[in-house]
Amino acid sequence: MKSFYFILFASVILFACSSDEGGGTTIPTDTFDRTAMLTHWANDIIKPNYVSMSTKSQHLQGKINVFTQDPKPINLVAVRSSFKDAYKQFQHVSMFEIGKAEELRLRNNVNTYPTDVAGIKANIENGSVNLNLSSEIDTQGFPAIEYLLYGVGSTDDEIIAFYTTHANATKNKAYLNQLGTRLHSLINEVNQDWQGNYANTFIANSGTSASSSVNKIANDYMFYYEKALRAGKVGIPAGVFSNEPLPNHVECLYEGASGRDMLLEALTASKDFFNGSGGLSFAGYLNHLDVKRNGKSLATIINNQFDVATTQIKTLPNSLKTEVENNNTNMLTTYDELQKNVVYLKVDMMQALNISIDYVDADGD
Amino acid sequence: MKLHYIFLLVSALFLASCNDDDNISVGFEEPATYSFNRNGESTVSFGGQSDRIAMAEELISEFKNFDGATEQKLLNMFTNTDNPFSNADLNASSKNIKSKTAASKDYFASNTAEAATIKQDFENWISAQVNEVFPAQNTEASQGVAGQIADGTSTRYVSAKGLEYNQAFAKSLIGALMTDQALNNYLSPIVLDESTNVADNDAGTVAEGKNYTTMEHKWDEAYGYIYGASQDKANPNATIGSDDSFLNKYIGKVNGDEDFAGIADNIFNAFKKGRAAIVAKQYDVRDQQAAIIRENVSKAIGVRAVHYLQAGKTASEMGGKFHDLSEGFGFVYSLQFTRVPNTNQPYFTNVEVDQMLSELMANGGFWTVSDETIDSISEEIANKFGFSVSEAAN
Repeated sequence: MKSFYFILFASVILFACSSDEGGGTTIPTDTFDRTAMLTHWANDIIKPNYVSMSTKSQHLQGKINVFTQDPKPINLVAVRSSFKDAYKQFQHVSMFEIGKAEELRLRNNVNTYPTDVAGIKANIENGSVNLNLSSEIDTQGFPAIEYLLYGVGSTDDEIIAFYTTHANATKNKAYLNQLGTRLHSLINEVNQDWQGNYANTFIANSGTSASSSVNKIANDYMFYYEKALRAGKVGIPAGVFSNEPLPNHVECLYEGASGRDMLLEALTASKDFFNGSGGLSFAGYLNHLDVKRNGKSLATIINNQFDVATTQIKTLPNSLKTEVENNNTNMLTTYDELQKNVVYLKVDMMQALNISIDYVDADGD
Repeated sequence: MKLHYIFLLVSALFLASCNDDDNISVGFEEPATYSFNRNGESTVSFGGQSDRIAMAEELISEFKNFDGATEQKLLNMFTNTDNPFSNADLNASSKNIKSKTAASKDYFASNTAEAATIKQDFENWISAQVNEVFPAQNTEASQGVAGQIADGTSTRYVSAKGLEYNQAFAKSLIGALMTDQALNNYLSPIVLDESTNVADNDAGTVAEGKNYTTMEHKWDEAYGYIYGASQDKANPNATIGSDDSFLNKYIGKVNGDEDFAGIADNIFNAFKKGRAAIVAKQYDVRDQQAAIIRENVSKAIGVRAVHYLQAGKTASEMGGKFHDLSEGFGFVYSLQFTRVPNTNQPYFTNVEVDQMLSELMANGGFWTVSDETIDSISEEIANKFGFSVSEAAN
């Protein structure tokens, strides 16, 4: 259970004279055009990314259908390719957990890993399961589909046998289809909402309150970067939050070769959104306010750190599981580089934009 | 999953904390002891810290359980796995030592690779104790040979280089766990002021299901790492030095040296005043007290490091020398977790500490280390803290 504390400061006047606190960030006055930024975000970034996401999840659903109707090697190759394509695109929308996505808890439903293999087997055996149940978030989505396409046998022949000669083959196929349908339906619901009226609602909510779109997206972005990207993809498997590394907690555990690429994709998407892909953005907002940290542009500092982290990620092998098992120091170094931007974004940027963080770290004792 | 949305409407909040200098030090009440209440109930809580101190006590005593201890058991005590403790409450606790070793926000949040190396050092000392020293329990130690050696009427069990791993572990833990958590985590504004802590403390909003604000609790958690095992936890200096084997004990020892008398009061009074300042919402005063604590706790570690190195130098027999130098080793190790007030730096960095330790352990280790080496390291430490070697030595 999570508690979100929204602190609404109807009018906060800060006289922060001494600048030696918080790393020396200076905060001038704000005349930035939030509406224009929200319009750009909605029309040029979020909506096109969801259109692409929905196309790809629909494609995946179709390929699953073809594969389960005729489980042969060429169809397995096709469905896997479609899977990776969709999973990669998801790295570009996962951070936008707002509106319908927030209501549907999209990220939890489509990308909770490690997936629960025993739960998947039980669901297959039972023949029917309500995937809306919050207890089922780890038996569905990309990681569960990944298990069914890569993890149910040690060779492709064994995997195909799971859908052909296996005693439960019919049920196995049905479950894979159910997951494909469910995945696309969730994603499409969010997409339809953005293509419909939600974009206008989102843009119109241009104020500076805690529930305004800029503040919410900033928090969603930060939460995503900190919890899903930094911790989920790197820190948790590397053992930062446990006493031992957890190699089986990596993304793409069964597929085995795309973990690094997914991480890179996610970081690229985070950096691109920070810079607005050619339009108004957090970076532009910070530059507009002329925010500096120790005399240097904060936006530049953040971009430089994104680059350092990107370079570091490129030193990782395709399989993050292998790296956790054999060279975990390199995973920890990757985590450290990702963490540095948590400080710049969560403390310096949020303070400069006068946005309160609406979630709490649960590491107290 | 259920979401609770708590909307706090602060309609007009004026913060004007400008000049530190003309501190319009509005007086606030400071209790005689470390006891703070809200609605007639205590707001002080640091059970997790008391638990970890108790776990560490069991762990270091198990280091010398030649007949009963196994490597796995000791490692399990470090992580609180598989009910390793004789005290059932500790087994039931959700806390463990390892996860808070080299784990402060200020030093290790973006330095997890180094943190992992430090945690590994502790596990290596455990493994070496069981794999090198246990089998040599009845071997006479000599240069290059692990075993036992006489220290007066006591018997010390040392590595092939003369190091007592139990001492290395215990004294290093003073830095890596107690000092690091207190100075570089819980006394840090990053932790004290995290999220909505300031607004909550200003409004008197308590943590969910608790009687304290989160900021009050964080401060108490720092306090707990020093006084978590005290007999009277509100008035701990009555028995300072005799309540644990870690930071409390050695603050007491330093306080007993007339050159440093009063250090225990300085630390305790700063904790008490800082906590009262939180209640009074005077965060500048709070941070001034944190600086006092950081300086004095760090100094206590520096004093003990020099003290044991010098004691080792002058010891008349090898067993006593090794025992002192082993304690010194741990305190030197702990220096990397100290905190220079008003900076984000320890008095000695990880690299500098590694350098000092490798000088001590070079060649035959404690069997061959020269007085000159011991003196030069002692001088280096004493100079940095601003006391003299002779003040610490006696």
